[in-house]
Amino acid sequence: MKDAFLLVNRNIKERKARSALTILGITVGIGAVIALMSVGYGMQESITGQLTEMADLIMVMPGRMDFETAYMELGSFDERDLKDVERIKGVKEAAAMMAEMFETEYKGEKFMVEIVGVDPGDIGALFGKVVKPEEGRYVRENDHKTCTIGYSIAKDYFDDEIGVNDRITINGSKFRVVGVLKKQGGFRSEVDSQIYVTKRDSVTILDNEDISEIFVRVRDIGKAEEIADEIEERINDNHKVDDFASAMTMGSSIKRLESVFGILQVVLIAIASISLIVAAMGIMNTMLMSVMERTHEIGVMKAIGAKNRNILFLFLLEAGMVSLVGGVFGCIVGIIAAKAISFGIVTKFGVEITAIVKPEVLLGAVVVAMLVGVLSGLYPARKASKMSPVEAVR
Amino acid sequence: MIRTENLTKVYRMGAVEVQALRDVNLEIKDGEFIAIIGPSGSGKSTLLNLIGCLDKPTSGAVFIDGINTGKLSENGLAEIRREKIGFIFQQFNLIHTLNALENVALPMFFAGVRHEIRMERAEELLAKVGLGDRIHHKPSEMSGGEQQRVAIARALSNDPEIIIGDEPTGNIDTEAGNAIMDILEGLNHEGRTIIVVTHDAEIAARARVTKRMRDGSVL
Repeated sequence: MKDAFLLVNRNIKERKARSALTILGITVGIGAVIALMSVGYGMQESITGQLTEMADLIMVMPGRMDFETAYMELGSFDERDLKDVERIKGVKEAAAMMAEMFETEYKGEKFMVEIVGVDPGDIGALFGKVVKPEEGRYVRENDHKTCTIGYSIAKDYFDDEIGVNDRITINGSKFRVVGVLKKQGGFRSEVDSQIYVTKRDSVTILDNEDISEIFVRVRDIGKAEEIADEIEERINDNHKVDDFASAMTMGSSIKRLESVFGILQVVLIAIASISLIVAAMGIMNTMLMSVMERTHEIGVMKAIGAKNRNILFLFLLEAGMVSLVGGVFGCIVGIIAAKAISFGIVTKFGVEITAIVKPEVLLGAVVVAMLVGVLSGLYPARKASKMSPVEAVR
Repeated sequence: MIRTENLTKVYRMGAVEVQALRDVNLEIKDGEFIAIIGPSGSGKSTLLNLIGCLDKPTSGAVFIDGINTGKLSENGLAEIRREKIGFIFQQFNLIHTLNALENVALPMFFAGVRHEIRMERAEELLAKVGLGDRIHHKPSEMSGGEQQRVAIARALSNDPEIIIGDEPTGNIDTEAGNAIMDILEGLNHEGRTIIVVTHDAEIAARARVTKRMRDGSVL
């Protein structure tokens, strides 16, 4: 066995450039598969991971949320809806949000920003355990004209950064900043661009008490779907309109996203596999050329007593070794490429994605590489093994 | 003992049939040293290929130690070549990626001999043909005569009873050629059957029996 390796190794080294190119083909193919899979897993993890943190949340919005028709009728909820939702069994807490875009000014600069009014007592329902102040605090019940601002509002919107105790002007009224929220990004990136004020203050700016969204936290995540259905039913009854409210659980979003990512993964792998098929043809080509070139040598080996299976084995071993080396290099290239791609995504889009390189993917890739190598080496190897020993003496 | 019975070989080249051997009946006893001479195209090499189990006859048969080689499978033929026959070619036919030692050990590799034993025996054989100091040289670093001596060592590696040489001195100078013949004579003295094809009368003269061929027949 050791000598078979030696023999094959010599043959590979004999044709350095060609072997290197064949190995490179496999390396690129395997590298592409690994990189795309790892980035895919990373994306999936970063998104579903964030959603899992919010799994106990039901978002209730007026109008119909329908992905197929994209139809959405805007309306608003009222106090009665909120009270009814709070009374549903299994609901831990519910928070009403009043939101509208208003002109916001800081040191002469003006932007349209979404102002969210919320009852300070409901902050827990709204933010759950994940949205926390980076500095300062949330707005409080007894505050007057205060606000807690999103991370982007504080750092990115205005030329000057806004900190705690700075004053901003919302729709003509001065508000004191009491807190800056931690950066959220991803699925909660809208939090970064919002300004939170107390419900009482929001009523004065908004000039109405319409509720634009209700955030519901459930006690048992397993019952979220049931509760969501009940919420829709109650609010629809209140307004005597079917489909007046849509309640969306994060659990269903996670499932939906996972299936989307499943499809995405398959598509990515399919694309990457094309390069693997090209690499397989490369191996077959190299091996066929090698068989042609070594017609004489194969004849000699047979003349001195090699059986068909000896020759078959040697050629398969060569194909296997070339693809094994390609597979291992492919793993290295794939890991580096995955890190580079996720780094690129992070710097370009600001989305936090860490490529996840699973050991089973690496192992699978090497096995696939070997399989591709041996399968594409099979035809040339059979051809070689069937050669006549008379070739040696021609 | 080697015996041929109405051995006939016809090559087909497109529409043309070439009768390379016609009803050859030949008997070569064990321990014989036979030279087959004749002009090129007379069928010498074809006869040698059939005796050496490299090729199959169109009709007739070759018996080696009573075995009808025409009845053997490809694997069976490979085994006969491996165990009973050692080949020496005009072009040496060494594997150029392997050094002398590895070339000599190759037939034993196919025979499944253990690595250590193989290497030891290969070294002994190289010493026997006078190349004990060149075992790690590649064929490209050796003269024609040296390469042919490596080829002889290789032919001996599975200790065959029969050594077949197709113009073994055809590609080397006279002096080296004589050295090759000395070695072959020595092997004959050990009791091995030596069959050599040549068109060099001087070389043929060193054999104990000479057979002349013409137009596919042994005269």
